[in-house]
Formats: sequence, C-alpha cells, structure tokens
Amino acid sequence: MAARTCRVSSIRLALILTAAIWLLSMVLYWNTLQRPALPLKEVFPYGELRIAIDASNPPFAVATADDFVGLEVDLGRMLATEIGISARFVNMTFDSLYDSLKADQVDIVIATLSIDPLRTREVRYTRPYFNAGLVLVSPAHMGFSHMRQLSGYTLSYEFGSSADSQSRVWLRRIPSFEVRPYELPQHALDAVRLNDAEAALVDRVSTRLYLRQHSDWSVHLEDVTYVPYVIAARFDRELLWEAVDKALQVLIEDGRLTEMINKWL
Amino acid sequence: MFVADSWFRITLSRYGRWYLRAFAVWLLFGQITATGPRATLGPPQTVETAKSQVCVHTRLIDEVWEWKIQRSLQYVREMGVDTIVEFFPWAYIEGTQGRYDWEPADRIVRHAHNQGLQIIARMGFVPAWARPDVDDQFSTLNYLPESSFEDFADFVADFALRYAGVIDHIIIWNEPNLAFEWGYRPVDPEGYVRLLQAVYERAHAANPAILILAAALAPTLEPPGSPNGLDDLLYLKALMEAGAADYFDALAIHTYGFTEAPEVEPAEDLLNYRRAELLYEILQQYDHKPVYITETGWNDHPRWTKAVRPAQRIRYTLDALDWAIHHWAWAEKVCLWALRFPAPTQSYPDNFTLITPEFQLRPIYYALQNYARGWGMDRDLWLPAPAE
Repeated sequence: MAARTCRVSSIRLALILTAAIWLLSMVLYWNTLQRPALPLKEVFPYGELRIAIDASNPPFAVATADDFVGLEVDLGRMLATEIGISARFVNMTFDSLYDSLKADQVDIVIATLSIDPLRTREVRYTRPYFNAGLVLVSPAHMGFSHMRQLSGYTLSYEFGSSADSQSRVWLRRIPSFEVRPYELPQHALDAVRLNDAEAALVDRVSTRLYLRQHSDWSVHLEDVTYVPYVIAARFDRELLWEAVDKALQVLIEDGRLTEMINKWL
Repeated sequence: MFVADSWFRITLSRYGRWYLRAFAVWLLFGQITATGPRATLGPPQTVETAKSQVCVHTRLIDEVWEWKIQRSLQYVREMGVDTIVEFFPWAYIEGTQGRYDWEPADRIVRHAHNQGLQIIARMGFVPAWARPDVDDQFSTLNYLPESSFEDFADFVADFALRYAGVIDHIIIWNEPNLAFEWGYRPVDPEGYVRLLQAVYERAHAANPAILILAAALAPTLEPPGSPNGLDDLLYLKALMEAGAADYFDALAIHTYGFTEAPEVEPAEDLLNYRRAELLYEILQQYDHKPVYITETGWNDHPRWTKAVRPAQRIRYTLDALDWAIHHWAWAEKVCLWALRFPAPTQSYPDNFTLITPEFQLRPIYYALQNYARGWGMDRDLWLPAPAE
C-alpha cells in the first residue's frame, strides 16, 4: 500500500511553537496580575473574622475570666485589623478544631497547628508564623552550630522526648558524646547553664520561655528540626485564605510578628 | 505517514514500527511498579524474653507493604515480646458472601509465625452484604444485625479452622459498650451475649483449642441511658447477669492510665490503670476465668488533656507492667497500645505508638526492650534536676 505523506513545513512548526510559548507566558503573566479585591462582605460574609483557638495552651492562647490572651490571640486580632474587620474568638478543644472549620463555625484556626498532608484537600494552610522545632542550645562562647561539634562533649535533653530520639540518631552518626537525660526540658537547660552539660537539645517554645527567666544567660541557638505552626482555612474559601495569608505576610515583613513572639515567648 | 522538512525528516513507514515497539516496551515496563524490599521468610525465629506477660497490639491489617509487616514483627520480636493482638476485619476477608480473600490475613499470620509470635485475633467490621440495605437503613461497619449473627459465626469458625495451631485466641468484637462500636445503636449487653452464643460452639467445633475472649469494654463512666455508651463496670455486670459466662473462655480488658500513675487505687468513678481490678472482681463474682489486658498504655501528646510528659509515659508504662507481674497473676497478657500505625494520624493517637510510621524507634521502645528482655535498667531513668 502506498504510504500517505503529510508534510509540515519547519516554518509552520516554528509558528505553532511560538504561539504556544506566547500563550503560556500570557497565562503565567495573568496569574501575577493583581486582581481587584472583592468587597470584604463577600470574603467574610459574617462581617467578622471568626477564629478558632484552643485557650488551654499557654502562652499561645489562654482563657481569663472575661477574655482570651496569648500570642495567637494577638496574632488573630492583628490579622483582622490588617484585613480591616473585627475578630471574634471561638474557644475549641484541640480535637474539635478542624471540625469547627468544616462545620463553618469559624473562618480560620490559629491553634499551634502543623501542616497535616492528609487534610490538604479540605484545608488550606498559610505560611508559618512560628517554628516550634528543636534547637541546640549552647553557651554563647561555645556556639555549637552542627552536631559534629558535640563529639567529646555532653548533651542534655528531656528523657523520652523527640530530642531524646534525635540524640540517639546523632549517636549513631558522629563520634561519641555523653548524654544526660532529664525529666523536663527546663532541667536539660539548667544543666547547660550550670555547666553540667555543654549543650541541650530542647524545643523552641521551652527554650524561649526558659530564656525569659534567665535573661542574663548568653546562649547560641541553632535550629535542628523544623515544626512550623500555620493557620488553617477551609479549602473552598480561597479568597479568605489569601486575605489572611497576605495579612500574615505583612506582619512578618514589617516586624510586628517578631514583636508579638518576643512579647509572649 | 508523517514527514517534516529539513534535518528531522521522518517517515512513519520507516520508523513507525520502532515507535510501536518502544510503546510496547514502555507499556510493559509501566506494569512494573516500585516495590519495597522483598519480604521473603527467613529461618524461623524464636523470641527471647524475660517478661512473657508483656504483649503489644499491632495495626498491620491496613499496611500496604508486606515488608513493613515483616519489619514491624521483627521489631516486636527484638523487643522481647512474644504475643501480638491484631485486628482481622470480616469485611476485608469476606467482602462477598462465601468468597474469602485470606491473603491480607495470611501474610500477617505467615510473618508472625516466622518471627515466633503468638497472635490474639480480634474480629469485627461487618461487610456490606451482612448489613441492612443502604436504601432501607443507615449502618456503619460496626453494625451487625442479629440476622447476620450466624454469618459472622460462620466466618469466625472458618477463621479458627484455617489458623488452628497458630491463632488460638479470638476476641469477639470490640468495646460493645460504646454506641459507636455497636453500630451507632443503643448498647445492648443481652444482644452481645447472643452474639457470643452464636459464635462460641461453632468456633470450638472448628478448633477445639480455641479460646474465645469476650470483647474488651471501653473504659468509660457513661451512665445508663446515655446515647454514647455505658459504664464498663455496669455493662460487664449486665453481661454476666445475662448468662455470658457460658459463651466465653476469657475476658479481654482495655485499661488506660490517662494522667494517673499506675499504682493509683481504682474507684468506680475513676478511669485509671487499676480499673482492670474492678472488672476482674466483677468477673470473679460469676465465674473464674482468665483475663487478657489487650490494650493499655499512656500517651505523651503535648496537647491532649489526658496525656503525660514523655518521661512520665515511660516511667508509668514500666511501672504498670511491673504492677501486673507482681499483683495480677490472673492477667495472662498485658498488651500495650500500640506498636506502630501505617500512617500518622497527625493527632494524639500517634503518641500512643512505640515506633513511628517511618520506623523510627521512640525512646519508649528501647525502655520496653530493656525491660522485656531483662537487659537491666537503672531504676532512675533520668538524672535528678541540676542543683543551683
């Protein structure tokens, strides 16, 4: 059978490719354009930013006799101010936070949440507002910045904690160092401050709270693990999520978030 | 035929067959999916343990990869634990009436046996065909209508026969004193006795060595009439009053410490570790049967209100096992909840486990290994607080 031949000129091919590239760049450019903001009433139909918190978790959120206080309460208020509406806090137990979002009882959740990959079809997460991971704490003059520097020294940590797990990993990877397990993270930090150990591996929240009580102690902090705290919004409320995320970005960039963290931690 | 001008002139007549061959090869290789390490059975293992009462609850049935099942069971053996509790859902095995897919159960049993482990099997989860028609009535996987008791008994008997000699302990159902576990219906101790009755003779006929364990009850203080469930002590009394003793050989118990130390005295209005003693006392008032603690433990999630600090969790767990060994001769096994989950829950249940889904051994695993294998451990797990 005679073969049917279809000829495509190289010029035509080049034209098609050019058109495709042009179309693609237009799509990309369109996505970067600032679209006119929707009226707040449409993004926040309840006329306020309803925020779920867990007010049993100091210093992030605590219930007083007639109000809520804490880092996340301040953050929620500041986000609402930045957006231009009022904030209303709804106290939830830890187990009910995502359900309250799902049931539309609240618009966002600010409650030391980490990203849950299994929920990303239902929930959008903002950029992080705090890293609660482990930090390596050492006296300023020692300034440990890498696990290898621990060799031959002593590391303190909270027995049974994630710091304990991490130190066991390090013990398998680097030349030996001595370990000193304690019941509480505060004791592990005491050990460094009182020269029983050269470094402590402790979570960032415990470390910051401890350092508030020992402000004259000069230390070097080195991030070891990354546990970001993020704000959650419903997946189908993209504009709301975008508004909250942008407001958070502003707070990060102008330093107000850092001020807030320094106030509470 | 396709031809392009200039330097990339191509004709289908010339290269078409190669395209087809390449496509066939691509299709063929596409069928080869990524696999984990092979889970070939090695030589049979034996468990070295100094504390044969210690046991652990696994969650293997939902594990996709066979090598992860094998790895999990290797860790059980290396921990010095010779018995596991595992869930074998009826709905997974007999999804269609009369047609069994034993493979999910077989691979667990195969590897557990190879590691020298005994299995206490928990039965539950009702297949759709054994539940009311979805158009007639809402039902969940825990909804077992009385009309399907015989079908369930058939399954349990077939299971008992298939694994005779490897699995000689079967728990019938889970926490039937909770409405959720009873298919979101009011709890019904008499109904549960009828379920035991349906199963008991059939299972023993299939495997005369089988021990039928009455389901562990959820530790709860729910009062009579609560839509959520019923106090476990009240439920057990009702069960025994309804004549359950004739239809089970041993009682499974769930007892959790929550925020209390294991030595704390039990009380009827308190949920703590030694609540198991109250359940045992009730059992003894009616019949002398052994007990298997099939779930226990402490949790160290930083946000759960019923959790403790990580160090406390380890201390309490070891003390609880010691307590059982020295005071609970009637407890055949004390099983910790839980070895490992196939995937993280991203919530407090993760902090009941001994191993992460990525197979990182938590510090509590090492402490339990030292304990169960008798490797010796200082009474003081941690150092005293540094002095100023």
